[in-house]
Amino acid sequence: MNALDYLVLLGSLLGIAAYGVWMTRGRRDLKSYLKGSANTSWFTIGVSVMATQASAVTFLSTPGQGYESGLGFVQNYFGAPFALLVISIFFLPIYRKLDVYTAYEFLGRRFDAKTRSLGAGLFLLQRGFGAGITIYAPAIVLSTVMGWRIDFTIIGTGLVAIVYTVSGGSDAVNLTQRYQLGVIFAGMFAAGCILVYRLPAEVSFRDAMTVATHFHRLDAVDFSLDPHRRYTFWSGLLGGGFLALSYFGADQSQVGRYLSGDSLRGSRLGLMFNAVFKIPMQFFILLLGVLLFVFYQFETPPVFFNQTAWRQQAGAGSGDRLRALEADFTAAHSDESRGLTAWLHARRTGDAPAAEAARSAALAAHARADQARTETAGVIRAADPRLGSDSDYIFIHFILRYLPHGIIGLLVAAFFAAAISAKAGELTALGATTTVDLYRHLVRPGLPDAHFVAASRSFTVLWGLVAIGFALFAQLAENLIQAVNILGSIFYGVVLGVFLTAFFLRRVGGTAVFWAALAAQGGVFILYHALSISYLWYNVIGCALCMALSVLLQAMLPRK
Amino acid sequence: MVYNFLMISDDAPPDLTDDATELPGVSTWRGVYLAVGVIFVVWVVLLAALPWLFS
Repeated sequence: MNALDYLVLLGSLLGIAAYGVWMTRGRRDLKSYLKGSANTSWFTIGVSVMATQASAVTFLSTPGQGYESGLGFVQNYFGAPFALLVISIFFLPIYRKLDVYTAYEFLGRRFDAKTRSLGAGLFLLQRGFGAGITIYAPAIVLSTVMGWRIDFTIIGTGLVAIVYTVSGGSDAVNLTQRYQLGVIFAGMFAAGCILVYRLPAEVSFRDAMTVATHFHRLDAVDFSLDPHRRYTFWSGLLGGGFLALSYFGADQSQVGRYLSGDSLRGSRLGLMFNAVFKIPMQFFILLLGVLLFVFYQFETPPVFFNQTAWRQQAGAGSGDRLRALEADFTAAHSDESRGLTAWLHARRTGDAPAAEAARSAALAAHARADQARTETAGVIRAADPRLGSDSDYIFIHFILRYLPHGIIGLLVAAFFAAAISAKAGELTALGATTTVDLYRHLVRPGLPDAHFVAASRSFTVLWGLVAIGFALFAQLAENLIQAVNILGSIFYGVVLGVFLTAFFLRRVGGTAVFWAALAAQGGVFILYHALSISYLWYNVIGCALCMALSVLLQAMLPRK
Repeated sequence: MVYNFLMISDDAPPDLTDDATELPGVSTWRGVYLAVGVIFVVWVVLLAALPWLFS
């Protein structure tokens, strides 16, 4: 990065944050601080929902996923449109009618105080412990490739998010997320255009897509019923649908976003905006990765994209082995590149036997190159088990190596903007839930709004510092991150079960659902250790278990 | 025992038409939801057809 890149990076990030602070200065009442102003447009709400979900990992790692395994991951989002329809039809009118600040406040009205506290507690446990990941995950990648100190990267990212979230509240988050998403999409679009432009002159876009097809990178939809496959049409539609229903309907970091503004219409259209654009957005990010894969079939990539780690290990005991693997990889890649060029030429001239021979040779060379990559990753990871996936480094390697200055700054700004905007959405929700569902409800009821605005600001700062602390600590405990991710994926189903019981099982009361939720959560923990199915299915299992046990317990409880 | 379920009586389910959409060409929420469903189907068909389109 040169001075121009740093200018673009700092200018866009600090400029947007300062604009958010300035435009929302002086918010004093609790409603406008936590829920935003009444005139928030549906577009702003829609963008805010999208920006809160799309963290830096979405833009940094998803192209790497497209590179490694193609478009299949897009199926994860197939359930989202239907989940958003359910929320728009059934959840939203009730949240609006009751004029709640948080989703858990609704549980208190529908059931009782203990169920409200359980919902809020599960949210705070899951989001609070996981709060550092949205900062840590991009910081580890960016600091590694840029040579920055990771602790400064984490603290800087966290502080920017805290400052404008605390000063401007929900409105500042809405406002800044709109511009942050603008920076993100501008950066990704520029990267996509330059990537297509940099393909070899004799390789058209259609040729690139044909190459991708023959390496199975365009296999986007898999109708297999095998539950052990991670991404299929059915696991995406059902498991992904339940996950989306839980995340958008019962997670305050999203509920807080679409309850911004003052009209049911605005909230509904904001959700429908996401129902329409979520799948295309993920598709285009994955497609960027697929095009990167094709680009690197003609341009020699490094055998290991995390070059910092490779150089460290190449200078250590396993250096000879790594250099030998690099030589194997380069030779195999060169054969593959020649084979693909010959194959495309033979296709154009209509020489079918030559095309088939060249294609077979290219696929065989690709398998050899892949083998060398896998072995290299094994050697490096054996020396340093804390290293994350190399696919996280694919896109950033391309950016730093092939994009012009200025655009590099814009892309790095995009990653930080994504981290900050997702973090800001989480912090607002953590502050609001702690204030409304615990502090105001259980500790200090009946005080004036100004007191709770101050309390909410303090809790937001506190959660921000917890997030920074966790992200700093995470460097020492990679397994902790994995544990938090697992906890997140297995909590959601039960929380959704509580909400679906509230909405659709009208005879079930607070005591039954409270104990059913605790029992169902225990059941999910046991099943998680006993089964080896895709984690998406635990959303369905947890939800079904909670609802079934609620009905059973309600039938067993004495009638009043 | 029936709880005060969502403060909505049995004969008044959530209203789908309480607000105009104010969108050009799609004035009802049912229309919006139908459009979202149709767009989803179109996307799945296009995605499933990609390998065939570029084989």
